[in-house]
Amino acid sequence: MAMTVSRPEPLRPVALGKEGEDRLFIEWSDGHRSTYSWRHLRDHCPCAGCRGELGQPPDLFRILTEKELSAPKVIRPVEIAPVGRYAYKIVWNDGHDTGLYTLENLRALCQCPQCVRKT
Amino acid sequence: MHPAGGAGPKISLPGVKYVVAVASGKGGVGKSTVAVNLALALHMHGSRVGLMDADIYGPSVPIMMGLPQVDPKTTPFPIERYGLKLMSMGFIVNPNQAVIWRGPMVHKAVSQFLTDIDWGQLDYLVIDLPPGTGDAQLTLTQTAPLSGAVIVTTPQEVSLIDARKGLEMFKQVRVPVLGIVENMSYYEGHDGKRVPIFGQGGGLKLAGTAGVPFLGEIPIDPRVAECGDAGDPIVHKYPDSVVAKAYLALATTVVHELKKAGDVPDLPGMKF
Repeated sequence: MAMTVSRPEPLRPVALGKEGEDRLFIEWSDGHRSTYSWRHLRDHCPCAGCRGELGQPPDLFRILTEKELSAPKVIRPVEIAPVGRYAYKIVWNDGHDTGLYTLENLRALCQCPQCVRKT
Repeated sequence: MHPAGGAGPKISLPGVKYVVAVASGKGGVGKSTVAVNLALALHMHGSRVGLMDADIYGPSVPIMMGLPQVDPKTTPFPIERYGLKLMSMGFIVNPNQAVIWRGPMVHKAVSQFLTDIDWGQLDYLVIDLPPGTGDAQLTLTQTAPLSGAVIVTTPQEVSLIDARKGLEMFKQVRVPVLGIVENMSYYEGHDGKRVPIFGQGGGLKLAGTAGVPFLGEIPIDPRVAECGDAGDPIVHKYPDSVVAKAYLALATTVVHELKKAGDVPDLPGMKF
């Protein structure tokens, strides 16, 4: 006995690109257009090093690497690469690349005037 | 908590139309048996089919397909058997030897099975996943062009609870779940009476609560294990048996669900 069901289509980006020099835009499958500053995205990096792991806070006393110490003053991405169908990995110009931004997380981080007003 | 771990570069398989993962939360539910027989059933419907054994620690495909360890220096992969193209860790490693690897090595092996093997032109590449939600699953969902996943469970609660975890994983990584197949659903005696040895209706109920299709029931037949151990799967050896017919029906349903799920477009990316 087989049973079929219809699946709801989850939200996904249909286009993304640079808006001006310091912002990312994402156009979603529901027509919404999100914008983000590079700084906002970096400040919300979801990786274990930035956010902590399993409920533990990140180690504030960790020794910075040479790469981190010589990091460029203006932070910007060098690549925004899809991870499967569920996330993006952002590679930053200081070499940081461990954050996987899920699509749900990216949508929640939206800084467009409409979304900012809601929060 | 979201899936973690360094994602490798995306793998493309331009000659393969559909990549289907066969998964379960729990081990011992007959996942490899389902993967092997589903692959053969797809082939018997007239399709070109490959079967990749992604269970690096406990590969079952070689024994089920009646193939020994080979010399990788002289044997080209994939190996063909019963019309299927096959790759497994069991072809490379001595069956009496344990593969004692950490995650990154599993990631590398699974990636290489996809990238370094010439799969050629296939309608379906079936991937037999190890149980759980670990390294092999992460590698495949982050880097491979998976068209969908089939979740295998038995009717009993201890299997269903782990199947739910598998379902949740695929939901989080947005791989379409083609549906749930219930293995070892019942035993049919000579009098035609069905005995639900591991309980009844668990797979159908789970599909209902998860909102995914129920793909069907596979009955218990002692010949399934005999055929697997003898290296000649039941769908090939006894194509007229009730179990083989259940697999042929399963293959039709899986193809239908794959077409319904359609081509999920890749996410756009950018470099600066």
